[in-house]
Amino acid sequence: MRELLIVMTALVAAPVMGLLLNGADRILTARLQGRVGPPLLQPLYDIVKLFRKQPLVLNRVQIGYVYLHLAFMLMTIVMLALGRDMLLALFAHAFSTLSLVIGASSVRSPFSRIGAQRKIMQMLAYEPVLILLVVGIYLRTGSFMAGAVAQLDTPLIASLPLVFLAFLVAIEIKLEKSPFDVATSHHAHQELVKGITLEYAGRYFAIIELTHLYETFLLLAIVAAFFMTQLWLGVLVALAVYVAAIVVDNLCARLRTAWMVRYMWTVPVALAVCNVIWLYLQPQRGM
Amino acid sequence: MALNVHEMLARSPWFVHYNCNSCNGCDIELLACVTPLYDVERFGMLHVGNPKHADILVVTGSVNHRNARVLKNIYAQLPTPHVVVALGVCSSSGGVFAGSYNILGGVDKVIPVDVFVPGCPPRPEAMIDGFVRAVEMLKAKSAGAAVAPATKPVITVAPAPQESHAG
Amino acid sequence: MSVFESSMIVTALVCLPLAGGLLAWLSPWRALRTSIVCLTAGLTALAGVYAVVSGPFSLALGPWNTTLAAGFELGLTALIVYFAWEARAWLILGLCAVQLGVYGVEWFGGHGQIPMIEDPVFVLDTLSGILVIIISVIGALILVYATGYMREHAGHAPATNAGDGRFFLVLTGFLGLMNGLVLANNVRWLGVFWEGTTVCSFLLIGHEGTAEARANAQRALLINVFGGVALSLGGLLGARHGVDSLEGIMSARLMAPMALLCIAALAKSAQFPFQSWLLGAMVAPTPVSALLHSATMVKAGSYLILRLAPAFNGSLLLKVIALAGGFTFAVAAALAVSQSNAKRVLAYSTISNLGLIVACAGIATPLAYAAALMILCYHAASKGLLFLCVGAIEQKIGSRDIEDMGSLLYTMPVTACVTIAGMLTMLMPPFGMLMSKLMAIEAAIDAPLVVLLVIGGSALTVFFWAKWIGRMQTVSYHPKYQIEQMPTSMMGVLIALCVIVLGGGIASMAVYRAVIEPLALRTCADAPAKALAALRAAGNLHSWPVLVFPLLAALAWLATVVRFDASHVRLPYLAGENLDETELSYKFRSLKDEPAVAWAMSLYFKHTLNEARITPWANLIAWLLVVSLLGVLGAA
Repeated sequence: MRELLIVMTALVAAPVMGLLLNGADRILTARLQGRVGPPLLQPLYDIVKLFRKQPLVLNRVQIGYVYLHLAFMLMTIVMLALGRDMLLALFAHAFSTLSLVIGASSVRSPFSRIGAQRKIMQMLAYEPVLILLVVGIYLRTGSFMAGAVAQLDTPLIASLPLVFLAFLVAIEIKLEKSPFDVATSHHAHQELVKGITLEYAGRYFAIIELTHLYETFLLLAIVAAFFMTQLWLGVLVALAVYVAAIVVDNLCARLRTAWMVRYMWTVPVALAVCNVIWLYLQPQRGM
Repeated sequence: MALNVHEMLARSPWFVHYNCNSCNGCDIELLACVTPLYDVERFGMLHVGNPKHADILVVTGSVNHRNARVLKNIYAQLPTPHVVVALGVCSSSGGVFAGSYNILGGVDKVIPVDVFVPGCPPRPEAMIDGFVRAVEMLKAKSAGAAVAPATKPVITVAPAPQESHAG
Repeated sequence: MSVFESSMIVTALVCLPLAGGLLAWLSPWRALRTSIVCLTAGLTALAGVYAVVSGPFSLALGPWNTTLAAGFELGLTALIVYFAWEARAWLILGLCAVQLGVYGVEWFGGHGQIPMIEDPVFVLDTLSGILVIIISVIGALILVYATGYMREHAGHAPATNAGDGRFFLVLTGFLGLMNGLVLANNVRWLGVFWEGTTVCSFLLIGHEGTAEARANAQRALLINVFGGVALSLGGLLGARHGVDSLEGIMSARLMAPMALLCIAALAKSAQFPFQSWLLGAMVAPTPVSALLHSATMVKAGSYLILRLAPAFNGSLLLKVIALAGGFTFAVAAALAVSQSNAKRVLAYSTISNLGLIVACAGIATPLAYAAALMILCYHAASKGLLFLCVGAIEQKIGSRDIEDMGSLLYTMPVTACVTIAGMLTMLMPPFGMLMSKLMAIEAAIDAPLVVLLVIGGSALTVFFWAKWIGRMQTVSYHPKYQIEQMPTSMMGVLIALCVIVLGGGIASMAVYRAVIEPLALRTCADAPAKALAALRAAGNLHSWPVLVFPLLAALAWLATVVRFDASHVRLPYLAGENLDETELSYKFRSLKDEPAVAWAMSLYFKHTLNEARITPWANLIAWLLVVSLLGVLGAA
């Protein structure tokens, strides 16, 4: 019963907070560019509008994959909210993105397919960092259960600082912000003519946007989890990270996909690997 | 914040823009609308590139035989409810090129138009005014109400009076 | 269980398929042959299920069984010498000479003063039971498929092919030999069946008779005979210590025989550096690839390591094995990404998954053991299904290239759906393959190098499946679909195996709790408490979100499809210049109104993951690992 309550809260609170964050993102971006920007609830209007539009598709197969995209994201949120296996949650998260990739590859649209390929390249770029994050947390808590993080005395940031930095870079990729916005771009609406989400219209595109809201909240919640002992600090850091992501987005130009993969596999992965090796060598692990 | 669904739809009008034989003057002024000086994103308007994501189709130019085909194709990819805005006097009647052999002389010759924004080019304020009217029509269409068809601007470019060369 | 009953079971499992194969070879008419093969398949499946259900047994036989085994050893070696002589393959002849030398030492050398321990010759326990089920049931299904496949295949087989009679003799008889292999506890009988499967593999790979097939068959023979020699040497060294059975090697913890048996297993399972034979084996007709080269024969190697490994817990030998397995897993997955030939992708994927089983066996914690068992079961079923599907597709469209498989969902809806379902079971939660990969990563966490390899390999695995699934599903909107024409045996088996794979996949955690966890607990009973706790905790992986959310998505999709409004279908975005107004296509009007085609191919990374460039380096590293295994011989 308590479990159900936690699940319901997570499933409702996550998109609401994601919505406010997304709206704030657009306002902040606008102000940084000297504009006024839309109202705070603009993402809500967008999603409601999309549900009212005709859901144009190219075939019936792609529809199933957009539902899977949302389903796996919900699975990830629920599993982490219930404190279950982190590795499975990570795989679910990866399959959420992968479902969208397969869906976009199921249509005879060259832009969609190129966007899907670029999304796969993005996954190749950030997956090692996410997996090293899970490995690092395991080495610190001794368990693969997400619930173990809540029972630590010292926050995760104390033992996983470099992994944290690597994760921040991975967030920029996941949020589709410059310099990594190659698959569909959060703000540049005409990159690859909307790339991977090109052939999704109406309620299916609304579902993709909704999943993005969940994802935004999920990523920032993980950032906050690094400071779980003082959660207020975690929330502040998460918001600061989001602001920093927006500022970097406005500063940088979009760079090439190949550069993104090469960069991610050198600097952030090296940082994360160093951190993980340091943890492996700790004597008090008792392994 | 007691907005109903149609009002929310009207607060998120995304537009896609096609240049059908325009001199680019209207297009440049349209892009000026998304710059910080005029900032149509205040109204929730986003300039998208994909007709399947768009609510408003903005067309500039007088439409020639080749891009009439393209315009029909793009119009077919717009999901309902949608509105069409014909920007500039070329889209209304052909503008300075009216009567030319290669153009059809107006967007309404190809697809139904909801709003005409005359001008050569129209000022960004006029464009935004046209968009606001388009959004009103979008709201009405979404609610299922009947929408009055657009009235074409009557005054077009008149031929210059013959000058008498005295002396 | 009485000696009589257990020997009857062994005889049935081994000799029934052999007899059926012989009868099939002797049948003059195709219809008779088909019915004999199907009957044999059904009986073998029943025998397998009966054997497992009636419980474990250990069968000890009198000293006459050694003579019988020696006779078979000699016969098989003579057969291999004959094949090698025909092909003038001197390397193989050399290996056969070594093999005969080993036999000679064994038969006439005597055992000195050490008395031989009497161990049961054939043993059926849970591990061999799992394999007997896989061989008997999945093997039976593949046999039935093969009857339909070969009938179609006869229409365009090359003139040099060896004929259906020989094909079914070897394919059916192979099931018996494979059953014998997993039941054998005595090393000599193991060697007999091992060589027997080698001969079967040689005959089946070379079935088409073309120059390419003959060359690949020889390569397979070479590598597998090398493995057989290593196996016999291992048996010989074991006999020096007075043990002649796997149980004996395990209880005495003999390092040298273990190393040699592991090398034999690596060769049979086509791990690096021995992988080339499996890639070459793809020239064989597809039922061969499904039965031998994914579901059963190549599993023999990983099965052997899995059986022996728990006894050698904590040794450096196992750590090297784990590293070798992990290395194979990662490199084979990387190379699979660069392939566009469907059977080669499946071959590399098989090699990769077998490497993962070997790696888990090497880690030898209870959770790793359980993970290896799960991969063994689920991979055999899923990969067998995928090979059968690719065979059907190849027969229909005449190509094995993934890039040609677009719009299969419309031209061959049933096959395409089954293929996509099979690939999804290899890839996604809640199906067994993903859960077992998860368990493998969790089990390997304390061996940093192995876990990095497993993580890297898993990421790459996802990539090539996603590419393929996307390509197969690319289809325009069609209001009606037509079921394709295919022989009933083929379509029936595809659907049956698909149901098994999907059902077994969804119930993977139930299977884990019921069968695999108890087996792992029994085998690794002396593991530290933390390790056993991890084993139990893994059963909770299937929390309800894993089942509920994908199910909701599937239901939502079904609801949408059923009420689908065809007026919502549009053309793809090609900047308004679509050429085809009714059909989805990449054709558009280009300059001067001339038609052009936009084509977005999948990523293959043929430059970075170049097979020709990577393979020599990978082989070098793998050879170094294998040679280091032989280091234990110095201590023997």
